[in-house]
Amino acid sequence: MSKTYRALWPIIVLSLVLFMAGCAKKGVEQVEEVTPPPSQETAAPGMDMTMPGTEQVEVTEQAAMDAEIANFQDKDIYYDFDKFNLTPDARKILAEKASFLNVHPEIKVKVEGHCDERGTREYNLALGERRAKAAMDYLIFLGINPMRISTISYGEERPLDPGHNEEAWTKNRRAHFLVSGN
Amino acid sequence: MKRIIASAVILLCLFSSALYAANPIHIDIQARSFKKLKVAMPAFWGPADLAGQVWDVCARDLAITGVFSLIEPKGYIHPGPLRRIEAGTLKDWSLIGADYVIAGEISRQGTLAAFTVQVVEIATSKILLSTTYTTSADSAYLTVHTFMDAMMERALGLDGIFSSKIVAIQKVGEKKQLYSSWCDGTGGKAIKGGGDLMLNPAWSPDGRKIAFVSYWKNNPDLYILDLATYKVGMISSEKGINSTPSFDATGTKIVCTLSRDGNPEIYQLGLDGKNSLRLTDSWATDTSPSLAPDGKSMVFCSSRAGAPQIYILDMPSKKVERISFTGTYNTEPVFSPKGDLIAFTHLAEDRRYHVAIIRPDGSKMKVLAGTGRGDESPTFSPDGRLVAFGSSDGNIYITDIFDTMTVQITKGGGFSEPSWSGLIK
Repeated sequence: MSKTYRALWPIIVLSLVLFMAGCAKKGVEQVEEVTPPPSQETAAPGMDMTMPGTEQVEVTEQAAMDAEIANFQDKDIYYDFDKFNLTPDARKILAEKASFLNVHPEIKVKVEGHCDERGTREYNLALGERRAKAAMDYLIFLGINPMRISTISYGEERPLDPGHNEEAWTKNRRAHFLVSGN
Repeated sequence: MKRIIASAVILLCLFSSALYAANPIHIDIQARSFKKLKVAMPAFWGPADLAGQVWDVCARDLAITGVFSLIEPKGYIHPGPLRRIEAGTLKDWSLIGADYVIAGEISRQGTLAAFTVQVVEIATSKILLSTTYTTSADSAYLTVHTFMDAMMERALGLDGIFSSKIVAIQKVGEKKQLYSSWCDGTGGKAIKGGGDLMLNPAWSPDGRKIAFVSYWKNNPDLYILDLATYKVGMISSEKGINSTPSFDATGTKIVCTLSRDGNPEIYQLGLDGKNSLRLTDSWATDTSPSLAPDGKSMVFCSSRAGAPQIYILDMPSKKVERISFTGTYNTEPVFSPKGDLIAFTHLAEDRRYHVAIIRPDGSKMKVLAGTGRGDESPTFSPDGRLVAFGSSDGNIYITDIFDTMTVQITKGGGFSEPSWSGLIK
């Protein structure tokens, strides 16, 4: 029964995204870029070269899963200065993350909210919280169980780029996603 | 706290008949016509290392008072070392424009240091102060604190401030810790390691406790450090942020930011985290509360108008009024312990962050020059005349509400978020 649900999920997500994008300013062509998560076969190209055996398959599956998780975690979403609303790019990335989370219901995610160094520490701690919360709320809207998502704000304390220029600040105003409870 | 062991041995009648003990004069330092009082302070008599150290602390503390300014020693007719001021030389000090002359002698007596100091008021040819202060030699700066408080009191009738401390966050490598020193930067040391992120330290008015934020449990939670036992207790670890603690005037409760109900709002909590009372209700970000000394109003930062601005909450009626209308980024307000002013961090016209002050009714906003390199996290001195803040170079500075000076009190960088204690007895 869970298999039929699983098969249905990408369709539900896609139609939700279609609906959202219809409301957004940008056109429908963006939605087509929303790719379903890569299947395990395509992610393991070296399979037929190796000895058949369940252990080997498990290892390869694990490697594929690790790659997917790495991909999930590596993709941050970005915010405008002093803002916590989600840009169309951020929504697209979050929709991808939602479809991944739907395929892997065992996975939990922690959303970290970050700010650039400008502004004050006290205010940025609250702003980071709102950024993480905005990302979490969108994932919940896309059907992810709230129990699977937690947030933490680091304010301006953990910059990705230590620079003091616009390029660094752009990278630092982000939400980062950490997978746990695998 | 170490205290001065034997203080105030008043030396009377030791000097020539031209010098009498002076009565304190009272000058209105808030008056527009107020000019800083010029002080000449030749090198002190005594062992060069100790005498030099004590002189340096005196010089910095004179600047921190905001009411005295030191005349450059290279212009003195009598450069010293000088252990007392001879009546016959008063004209020479008057000639270089001095209002006061300070002469001092340091002596070591075993593990103790004695600082004998005289202050002469040139206008009246009278001795303002003539005392010996004794303390342990490795904390000779304590004698300066007592002396300087006495000088402010005798010369201007001002309350002393030098028996107060400043706590700040110090970053060492990737770790943060609580660092505390006397308000002039002397006696600085780490008082609590974190190993993790630490933020928003706030001193209780009696100087016995420090509330702060740490990520010990992988969330920004509120803790309290008891300085008598060095034990840390938990105040609040709700889901979301638990941040920006600030004590009320009685030291029995705090106001802070919690996001447990969805977005950052302001709450009042007991020091054990109990009896929580929600004080704000807005879709926006509400943070950085600070209570007026009478507890009847609270200032805080809110983004309810789009950008962060400063608001006052009337506690009995819960009515909220915006008081900052200049600029697009005003955060981190703090009430003066006198209740007459609020200091906050303001993104100024030069596109840099400055400390600014404003009256609680929103009038007379003034942007303080500070370092000009990006200043934030203001905190008032116990008398409400001075403001310490953190600068982008990682050091803590002190300025005054009249914007007449900026004095650096830490060295080496890595410091942020100062919080000034009340007077420590």
